[in-house]
Amino acid sequence: MKLLDIIKSANANLLRNKGRTFLTILAVFVGSFTIILTSGIRTGVNSYIDTQMNNAGGENVLEISSSAMSEAMEGSMMGGSSAPKKYDPSRSPISTTGMAITGEQLNKARKINNIESVSPFIMTRMTSMIPIGVAIKYAVGVNGEKYEFDVRSSIDGVNLDIREGTKLDNQTKERQIAIGMDYVAAFGFKDDKDAIGKELTIYVLDRGRPGKLVPIKAKIVAVLNKSILTMSGGSVNDSLARAMLDAASQNLQDNFRQMYTMATAQLKPNLSDAELDKIKDQLKEIGLSGMTAEEEVGMIKAFFDAIILVFTIFGGIALLAASIGIINTLFMAVQERTREIGLMKAMGLGRSKIFLMFSIEAISLGFWGSALGVGVAYLVKMILNPLAADTFLKDLPGFNLMKFDLVLLLLLVALVMAIAFLAGTLPARRAARKDPIEALRYE
Amino acid sequence: MNEKPILAAKRLTKIYGKKSLEVKALDGVNLEINRGESMAIIGKSGSGKSTLMHILAFLDTPTSGVIEINGKNATKLKTRQVNRLRNRRFGFVFQQFFMNARDTVLNNVMLPLKIAGIRKSERKRRAMEVLEIVELTDKAKTRANDLSGGQKQRVCIARALVNNPAVIFADEPTGNLDSVTGAAVENLLFKLNKEKGITLIIVTHDADLAARCDRQIYLKDGKIIKSPVSSGVKTVSPPGKRGVKKGGRI
Ligand SMILES: Nc1ncnc2c1ncn2[C@@H]1O[C@H](COP(=O)(O)OP(=O)(O)OP(=O)(O)O)[C@@H](O)[C@H]1O
Ligand SMILES: [Mg+2]
Repeated sequence: MKLLDIIKSANANLLRNKGRTFLTILAVFVGSFTIILTSGIRTGVNSYIDTQMNNAGGENVLEISSSAMSEAMEGSMMGGSSAPKKYDPSRSPISTTGMAITGEQLNKARKINNIESVSPFIMTRMTSMIPIGVAIKYAVGVNGEKYEFDVRSSIDGVNLDIREGTKLDNQTKERQIAIGMDYVAAFGFKDDKDAIGKELTIYVLDRGRPGKLVPIKAKIVAVLNKSILTMSGGSVNDSLARAMLDAASQNLQDNFRQMYTMATAQLKPNLSDAELDKIKDQLKEIGLSGMTAEEEVGMIKAFFDAIILVFTIFGGIALLAASIGIINTLFMAVQERTREIGLMKAMGLGRSKIFLMFSIEAISLGFWGSALGVGVAYLVKMILNPLAADTFLKDLPGFNLMKFDLVLLLLLVALVMAIAFLAGTLPARRAARKDPIEALRYE
Repeated sequence: MNEKPILAAKRLTKIYGKKSLEVKALDGVNLEINRGESMAIIGKSGSGKSTLMHILAFLDTPTSGVIEINGKNATKLKTRQVNRLRNRRFGFVFQQFFMNARDTVLNNVMLPLKIAGIRKSERKRRAMEVLEIVELTDKAKTRANDLSGGQKQRVCIARALVNNPAVIFADEPTGNLDSVTGAAVENLLFKLNKEKGITLIIVTHDADLAARCDRQIYLKDGKIIKSPVSSGVKTVSPPGKRGVKKGGRI
């Protein structure tokens, strides 16, 4: 039997039971489509990032942020520590609230060898942000015990999870604070109700006069349920935030008062890795952390790739289920066509040809399933890309959400066909081994 | 005739099952079939007729014994050669027809040629030729399922004929047919035997059909016996197919 005839027969056989064939192809389609779509998004994102990287100018730029910022972010991701900590003077000054880069830090950074210039991004929306640049030494309640304390400003629109008391008021002149529930006992209050309306004294570091502390009194208006945000302190209203900020920077020269979220450092060209590491170490000493654009993008990419991987695994699992479907479909076909197989064998069709015929049926199922996946993925791309560009990617011109790599697609189709072939070997082998007499006698 | 027999069986045995459950389906069968001859294999149900035919047609292998083709030992043939032999030299007709019911008559007849790897136009030409012999040219495009029993069997004969075989094996070819259509199928087979010189090996319960053959082989418990006991050959309804019975044929 000629190969072309075998292929034709195999496909004709698939059409004999259209419903079953369609469902099997559908299963293959779901798996392939998932993988194609995720890989399309991955290619789209990566190619965007790559072009951005090329535009950014590459290696001799360092993104600088406050070390506290990255630590705080890590801390909140890890869940942080929950119990109030007693103040311990032997520990270095707490600077977890100092998430901004200060003018002094920038000046120090400019003096580091191999850094040519540093240009900061100026922070604009001070009042609605965390009172950055403020280092709180400790806070004291009614019992005189000193506790480490960390605050965040209350952002309008974000509801605090209040156990007792009232909301923070950002319009009033009164300096208000909401404390985490664990601090009620620590600061010496009897219970939540008792704490409301009482006074808390926060000791802020005067950055203009090293070692000096400025006490600021605040009124407790609320006790908050435990959450990641309130775990190690509480929230403050705008008046209190401003007061702490003023206290911390009252003795600073004007140019030092300015606070920055981020800065970029222009480096001398062609630095070695060792030189780069040295710069980073020196930045760390002054409380800053530096990252090359590549490292930063690498982090984003790694995070993104992890998500893509999860989806690809889903697609893989769907494909696995689909191959079981293929095995099942073909076993049923072999069973149904037992007599026909016997007849063809009696008429001199060899084992290998029968094996081939069923294998090609399996491969066809894989082919049509994955080809359908490619087709529908293209359709989705045509609809979704313009939609994304008009909505959530509006601010990122040139960002195509999905991009398909033709070679990769062909490879995937080939891979799915190979998987289908492997799945088909079991039933195909059974068909090939059928004894013609047994098969003809089969009722 | 000096010619060697086209098929010869020497001391054939076929044993099914193991040890205590052993069934000796064939027990030392010796047989020679000459080219162009028509031979009937007769015997009671379970006497080993089908088994003998399957082994002669290389559909099955004997437990022991030798089969010769044109005087040459063919027991050691490779699978590929056996497949080729069945495809090119043998034709098969079965009691239950065995067709792809949903396929057209033409496709069914072309199947052996397709297996042989012959190209499509040639397949069609030769299939139409044999359909003409069995007088079913007008049914070429009909689904096999839509034919009557006699027509089905004629399609099967066309299919057996399409490869220009030297031997046609027929296992109860009229077993599923009424007497009139059965007779038509018989006539067709013997016409091919006379006109084309095709050797016929027919397994049958039908005494009349057996009598029309040049030679009769009587099987009993897997052995060939000299001649039937007077009541030994008679029409027995084949097992499982009692619905369609031949009438008035003793
Ligand atoms: N695959 C098998 N396994 C075990 N025994 C078998 C097998 N095939 C045939 N037999 C036995 O071998 C013997 C001969 O069977 P065979 O089919 O050749 O008989 P037959 O003469 O063709 O009968 P019938 O006229 O009913 O078709 C029977 O006893 C049968 O039960
Ligand atoms: Mg039989």
